[in-house]
Amino acid sequence: MKIWTSEHTFNHPWETVAQAAWRKYPNPMNPAVVGIDVVERKVVDGVLHTHRLVSSKWFFPRWAQALIGTAKICYASEQSEVNPNQRQMVLKTTNLTFCRYIAVDETVRYTPHPSDASKTLLTQEAVVTVQGVPLSSYMEDLLTNKISLNAGKGRQAIEWVIGKFDNEIKELATSACKSTDELLSQTKKSIDDITTTARRSMDDISSKAKKSLDDIEKFTKANANQRS
Amino acid sequence: MNSIGEECTELKKKYDDCFNSWFSERFLKGDHDDSVCSSIFKVYQECVKNAMKQQNIDFKDIDKDVLGTDNEFKVPPSDNNS
Repeated sequence: MKIWTSEHTFNHPWETVAQAAWRKYPNPMNPAVVGIDVVERKVVDGVLHTHRLVSSKWFFPRWAQALIGTAKICYASEQSEVNPNQRQMVLKTTNLTFCRYIAVDETVRYTPHPSDASKTLLTQEAVVTVQGVPLSSYMEDLLTNKISLNAGKGRQAIEWVIGKFDNEIKELATSACKSTDELLSQTKKSIDDITTTARRSMDDISSKAKKSLDDIEKFTKANANQRS
Repeated sequence: MNSIGEECTELKKKYDDCFNSWFSERFLKGDHDDSVCSSIFKVYQECVKNAMKQQNIDFKDIDKDVLGTDNEFKVPPSDNNS
């Protein structure tokens, strides 16, 4: 059994993050999620309760395929509560026994940040259990790392969604893109420079080699003439 | 985002649009009346329930509590579906 926790701050108010959370899919950072449906939803005492079914495509590494198969559509059940008065949003996800070797239980919480109410705190907690598979703790580590990686993508996904409908954030995203573009073009330039230098060196080497060969030919011919 | 059942994706999109507007414009501003989207929700629900039956997704597995009960440390029961 492996337990993983993480905390992150969004520089947006809780209401913005809550709206983005419902619009999170599809997004380019989580291509594995292939379907989501709302199975139940109701407001009880001012709190919105939702039950969703999430289906995602899991690809397993080769060594696990003999046991589990190449790829599978796995289903997870997500129960959530949104309390707008207390500004709390909690989502609990658990996968179904369809993927019975692995049990993942995850809790995600969005609340105003304790030191700055205009920001939002995200806390994530996941418990991963693998049973009936050799090297269980290795598999668990793999999954925990995957969760950590996906959590990073999840946060990017929220930022990405917020960017879609908030102008201010759009501008921030544009400047981030510009920086990335610059980085990419600088990298390309460095690679081009290295290639050019390497090519020049190769040209140098081959022209010197050619010259040596010509010299050897001349010498050989001269010798041959002398002997004959 | 697609639905779990291909045939339900259109309905899902209509419902999601309704829900997102209601959530931002009404629910977060203090209006807790959720009847606005209920008719489209009913139709969408029917479709999803059928799709789930077709794909053999069993809700009994979802709703059962495992953590904090005797089932917590046991291997999940084998079933014929997977």
